[in-house]
Amino acid sequence: MVMSATTDGGQRTLRRDGSFGYVAPGLLLIVFFFVVPVLMLLMRSVLEPAPGLQNYVELLGSTTYLRVFMNTFIVAGLVTVVSVLIGYPVAWLLAIMPDRWSRLVLAIIILSMWTNLLARTYAWMVLLQRTGVINKTLLSLGIIDKPLSLVNNLVGVTIGMTYIMLPFVILPLIGVLKSIDPAILRAAALCGANKRQCFARVLLPLSLPGLAAGALMVFVMSLGYYVTPALLGGTSNMMLAELVAQFVQSLVNWGMGGAAALVLLIVTLVLYAIQLKFFNPNRAR
Amino acid sequence: MKKHTIIALFAIAFGFAGQANAADMVFTSWGGTTQDAQKEYADSFTENTKINVVQDGPTDYGKLKAMIESGNVTWDVVDVEGDYAVQAGKAGLLEKLDFTIIDKSKLDPRFVTDYSVGSFYYSFVVGCNKDAVDTCPKTWADLFDTTKFPGKRTFYKWSAPGVIEAALLADGVPAEKLYPLDLDRAFKKLDTIKADIIWWDSGAQSQQLLASAEAPYGSFWNGRLTALALTGVTAETSWANNITAADSLVVPKGTKNKEAAMKFIAHATSAESQTNFAAATGYAPINLDSPALMDPDTRNSLPDKKAEGQVNADMNYWAEHRDEIGKRWYAWQAK
Amino acid sequence: MLLDFERLAGLRPFLIGLTVVVCLFLILPIVFIAALSFGSSQWLIFPPPSWTFKWYQTLFSDSRWLYSALTSLKIAAIVTVLSIVLGFLAALGLNRGSFMGREALRALFLTPMILPVVVLAVALYALFLQLGLAGTTIAFIVAHLLIALPFSIISIGNALEGFDKSIEDAAILCGASPWEARLRVTVPAVSHGIFAAAIFSFLASWDEVVLAIFMASPTLQTLPVKIWATLRQDLTPVIAAASTILIAFTILLMVLAALFRKGRKV
Repeated sequence: MVMSATTDGGQRTLRRDGSFGYVAPGLLLIVFFFVVPVLMLLMRSVLEPAPGLQNYVELLGSTTYLRVFMNTFIVAGLVTVVSVLIGYPVAWLLAIMPDRWSRLVLAIIILSMWTNLLARTYAWMVLLQRTGVINKTLLSLGIIDKPLSLVNNLVGVTIGMTYIMLPFVILPLIGVLKSIDPAILRAAALCGANKRQCFARVLLPLSLPGLAAGALMVFVMSLGYYVTPALLGGTSNMMLAELVAQFVQSLVNWGMGGAAALVLLIVTLVLYAIQLKFFNPNRAR
Repeated sequence: MKKHTIIALFAIAFGFAGQANAADMVFTSWGGTTQDAQKEYADSFTENTKINVVQDGPTDYGKLKAMIESGNVTWDVVDVEGDYAVQAGKAGLLEKLDFTIIDKSKLDPRFVTDYSVGSFYYSFVVGCNKDAVDTCPKTWADLFDTTKFPGKRTFYKWSAPGVIEAALLADGVPAEKLYPLDLDRAFKKLDTIKADIIWWDSGAQSQQLLASAEAPYGSFWNGRLTALALTGVTAETSWANNITAADSLVVPKGTKNKEAAMKFIAHATSAESQTNFAAATGYAPINLDSPALMDPDTRNSLPDKKAEGQVNADMNYWAEHRDEIGKRWYAWQAK
Repeated sequence: MLLDFERLAGLRPFLIGLTVVVCLFLILPIVFIAALSFGSSQWLIFPPPSWTFKWYQTLFSDSRWLYSALTSLKIAAIVTVLSIVLGFLAALGLNRGSFMGREALRALFLTPMILPVVVLAVALYALFLQLGLAGTTIAFIVAHLLIALPFSIISIGNALEGFDKSIEDAAILCGASPWEARLRVTVPAVSHGIFAAAIFSFLASWDEVVLAIFMASPTLQTLPVKIWATLRQDLTPVIAAASTILIAFTILLMVLAALFRKGRKV
């Protein structure tokens, strides 16, 4: 036991110090209830209703489903861009503002994160309707003269999902920005860089890895979202996750459901692999 | 065998297994004020028979089919749309009803098949929030007229009898020549108002849309407007060319509580249950003895007193073309 | 100067302004839902004609809401305990082990967190239908454990990282058995990680909607399933009342967590 803690450089073998046994219970759970069922689902996509790739042909060959793919990427992309544009400045301020203020802002962020997902979505459903508070306020302020369509369309989905994703951009970025030495920026300023140059040439590049990691995470999470698009989107905003659920729950078509799930799975895993490869904070070890 | 070993292992590992009370049965309907009223006859059923009725919902045909196919049937009696009942009966998804327990001589024969009996019947009517607009649309043609009646209107989201008929009537098709439905013409008519439609997917949502004036008019189930009026909203109902359709009670194939299910249906369709239900919801009873038990005011507010110009949706036509219309409907909606 | 709050100059009002707007954006639905729950309009008209407690009365008089809350609580509690135990073991193994494929294994453990929940939900639903476990408590626990476990492994793993194993070894040298040393030395030392794991695991289960929709049966519904079903068919302000109670519960949890952290510092 004592030895194994100090010698990590030696040859690696399975079960060398018995610590593999600690992992075993969790591994059993993951294999039986995660790896196996997902593989079984994917099998069904090529076996039902008959062996072959016809499910994939139908899925990738129909304009209806292609529109769903498009929608999925549009929504995920839009949510990511908006979250980053709004999240970056907020994280920036949080990284440098006095503690007592940043603590308050952080508390608000965490409260919003921990509030029940359905409660938040329900609130947006009511807030965004044509006769909702937002439209009523804008109307009475004279900013608009007829109600905006804010829900059951792309706008509604984007607002609802950005709300959910913002913390996932802001929180990791704060740490990244805090770890940048202000002296570097002072040096840049001394060398004659103006504010814009300081930002574009120093601050942004230094925080880019953290920003990219956060953006990628938001993108991946958005791709697979089900509840919020289902409640805030319109009939023409269906996303991939909703399609999977619809195939299985309403159409009882496991073959197509499995095929759509595989598409979603592959996109997600590829992006996850990219994230692990380029942005893994642990990779140095 | 293997399956049972695994389950047994689980039960040991966790100390308990999933438990369902054997005396229970599950009744599934569409939620909202309608199911609240159905809960009343479920409660009196429990009082009489000591069989506990668990309420579930909303009805979901996909879920229903999935549970029948997997043999894991958790719903015992389900309230479904009439055309679906006809179709599902033919497709072998339902248990034959036991007419030694259910007295069909007292039931409206329009809604009785081997596999289903009526649950209640209703009309799609033109509804309007009088407080929100100056003038209310009176006919389907009005509802499809965006110059005379600008702004949003609401229609039933799912593919079912009602909206297509309304579109054709609005386009000038005479009521007696509706079937077979001219789908091309219907969708063309619907295209003209598509941008102004907010879809309602549950009865409660239709009420919310009308009451909040999110959509100040639209096509509604008549009972939902009656219920809305009781909450103080000035909801106006226009019965011109009202389109009737019925809900049916069915028993999914493979239910574990077949006898309880039959008894429940017998109770639900009794004259007394139907009378109370109709009084609470504004929907029409399917028990022929019920109207005699009602007070005259209630009787006069029911769809069967609005026979003038009334259009009966053709359940057999729909049962036959349900899938094909559905496919086209959802593709059109997603566009 | 860009990283000095006092010397942001012209940028400062912009950043502060934007942050205030974002804070309002984040707080708006939460405050709104609480206000809505006291409004008298059944049809979600806001501002409402008058104020009332009746949605709370409806909520508390309907045993189905209470029952689903208790179901959620039970499942989340069991999931939390299992997640901590399995997570502690796995983190220990991943942290100290030197077996082949350790990093791959770590990635595998974290995958359920990144994978679209709906894929997992559909796959598990199919499996449980075949095993005859659909709609049982066990199905719920397994499903939620899968997504809670990564949080435990991360939280406890991070804590173990900062823990000097030689302290545990010292205890063993002094005569404690390895497990005794772990339970009495290591576990207390990483208690903040375990506490974080507990909170995240609990929330992962308590707040989970998608898996729950697929795992639920008429007689077994967690609170989110009940809210989901009510949203789809009723839209009543009772949902707002239930949500407000959940929000209050969340705030309580946050305050407890903050107090716990403060207590540890002293």
